[in-house]
Amino acid sequence: MALPLKYNLANVVVRWRSTAATILGVALVVAVYVLVQALAVGLEASSRNTGDPRNMLVFRKGSTAESSSQVTREQFQLLPWLPQVARDPAGQPMLSADVVVLLNLPKKDRVSEANVTVRGVSPSGKFLRPQVRLSDGRWFTPGKREVVVGRRLAAIFADLEPGGTIHCGGKLLAVTGLTEAGNSAFDSEIWMDADEARSVFDRENYSSVLVRLTTPEAGPALRDRIENDKRLPLTAMPETQYYASQTMAAMPIRILGNFLATMMSVGAVFAAMNTMYATVGARTREVGTLRVLGFQRRAILIGFLVEGTTLALLGGVLGCLLALPMQGWSASTISLETFGETVFQFQITPVLAAKGLLFSALVGLAGSFLPAMRASRLPVIAALKSL
Amino acid sequence: MTLGSFVTKNAFRNRRRAALSILSVAASLFLFVTLLVALREITVPAETIGAATRIVVRSRISLASLLPSRQKDVIKKIAGVQAISPFSWFGGRFQSEDHMSFAQFALDPAQVTTIFTEATVAPDQIAAFKTNRTACIVGKITAERYGLKIGDHFTLTSTVYPCSLEFKVAGFYSGTIDDRNMFFHHQYLDDSSGMDGWVGTWWVKARTIEDMPRVIEAINKAFANSSAEVRAETERAFQLNFVSMWGNIKILVHSLCSVVVFTLLVVSASTMSMAVRERFRELAVLKALGFRRRELFGFILAESFGLAALGGLVGIGGAWALYTFGSIARMTAGVFVSFEVTPRIMGQAAVVAAVLGILASIAPAISVARMSVVAGLKTLD
Repeated sequence: MALPLKYNLANVVVRWRSTAATILGVALVVAVYVLVQALAVGLEASSRNTGDPRNMLVFRKGSTAESSSQVTREQFQLLPWLPQVARDPAGQPMLSADVVVLLNLPKKDRVSEANVTVRGVSPSGKFLRPQVRLSDGRWFTPGKREVVVGRRLAAIFADLEPGGTIHCGGKLLAVTGLTEAGNSAFDSEIWMDADEARSVFDRENYSSVLVRLTTPEAGPALRDRIENDKRLPLTAMPETQYYASQTMAAMPIRILGNFLATMMSVGAVFAAMNTMYATVGARTREVGTLRVLGFQRRAILIGFLVEGTTLALLGGVLGCLLALPMQGWSASTISLETFGETVFQFQITPVLAAKGLLFSALVGLAGSFLPAMRASRLPVIAALKSL
Repeated sequence: MTLGSFVTKNAFRNRRRAALSILSVAASLFLFVTLLVALREITVPAETIGAATRIVVRSRISLASLLPSRQKDVIKKIAGVQAISPFSWFGGRFQSEDHMSFAQFALDPAQVTTIFTEATVAPDQIAAFKTNRTACIVGKITAERYGLKIGDHFTLTSTVYPCSLEFKVAGFYSGTIDDRNMFFHHQYLDDSSGMDGWVGTWWVKARTIEDMPRVIEAINKAFANSSAEVRAETERAFQLNFVSMWGNIKILVHSLCSVVVFTLLVVSASTMSMAVRERFRELAVLKALGFRRRELFGFILAESFGLAALGGLVGIGGAWALYTFGSIARMTAGVFVSFEVTPRIMGQAAVVAAVLGILASIAPAISVARMSVVAGLKTLD
């Protein structure tokens, strides 16, 4: 016969003084775990959010990021005539030759600096990327040295609000508007005209070319066509796939999160063990009574395991709640592929919360196993006699 | 029985609890030390003797923009400049690996020993490096990792330049703060990449420390308003640029440290009050015998402090021993190199342990002070 669940659950509440500390301890461990993982999830999500399934990105074979890729003007001239390239109602090929440059800019504190990705786009560039919407001010005018900036980027760096000026290599660029790109990688970019970017940054070549396909299925055909063309040392990849692969920076964060969780859970298991041993010790007589009433050793063991796990689960729930206010907060770090600053948001997903709860339950089980064994092995008569 | 042995006996009479308390404090302090050391490693680039007179010149736009090689002659003529070498990041992937696992730089082989004075390389290896255009010098850590021997050949595929190059190992270097990198002839890169005439950065050696500010200013001025403006700065300032790139991650690790400390406090405070509650009756007896509150508080404080100190000793000592005698470069696959547990960090952790011991004893001490002797004697558990 199993112990009534109510007996053990009630105990968690009755001894709130010693259980509260353990619950709080587990809660903090779970909160740290969930938050660090939420950071990694957010970083990966901003990459995965980016791109349009109808687009292919063309870049130099062997380069891992647009910023290290080069497409010469001669190579670019060949691309609009490929049969897989879609045309707009006016009959013009839909593709954008982009220039991607890293620009060192001061942050809001004007002390620290970081690299920002500046993307020069062809006039059709913004139509190929419907994710990017203007949220403030107006679009840049080609030829006037104007740029638009991702709103989240403008919140971190100095002088990036509309009306501000960017100094680069002796030239000035005026900010005319802010963009929003639905938590995608474009949130971390400054946009301007492609050919203007080539002259401002003294670049002979383009970095990459974004192509709209006639049909989404034409992707592999375009790639084969480009790779088989001896004049083109280029390759093509679906835009979404390119961005989805840019998640190297999430790795160290994940490792940090797992390391922290492991180390902290060791401490939490010890703490839970302490509490459970004290609980068992204080209830020696109760346990004796239960045994006399006919409850078996196994029932006692399971009872205490349930109690310890409940205790830790309460901590887990509290931990998830503690982490919740950080949901959607912006963080920024260097992207390990492009070396530009990436802005992203903490994302606490249901899966992550469930992982946190599972984690807390494991801490509870591990912490209560030995104490529960001890309780189930108490000799009945001695237990009854104890004070 | 002396007071000391009384406290010790009390602390260890429930051995299991004492051990668990010590271990939980130790685990947390170990983590605390690890976080601080990791933070220090990514935020405070180590200082070397040679760095004091080294200047790094990069494009004003960003490190990713290249500089024209014609700048070399201009910089060379500036008074106070002892030597100059191009220094271009190759960003190569080793053999068939998917990711870059160590950094490679193309430079002027003639200047290696003049600019990077702290690197130790055998003289015959340096000579072999200088004479062979495809030769390279590999850092000790990387060489050990891949089991490279002199005369070995390997291929690097660049993610930055449109080429993949084959190199011959001419020698190994050690003694710098980062013995992971690989160096090769800039000429080899110029000939193979089709990007002749461009370099990543210039590394300049000034004659004396006093020359530094003047040389830096002169270099910056020399290319002002040209099509390739530069930013010259000390090697240290250059390294610190990378630090600010970590962005919010630094703040994150800082807040993690505080959470760890706070968790630690909660857990130890609870353990201490558990220990005291268990002996409420004894403490009441002591009170009845005439011990004053102050003395009872002393007992509790001494016990709590002692447990925290022991936990600190195990945790901090463990971290120190592991990171000092263990090979951190091998444990983290070369991500962290020095991972030095500085006296300052150990001091910080020791202070946390001490404060913890004191704070944890306050709550139980208050409840003991408040208890009436009669009520205490009546308590059952």
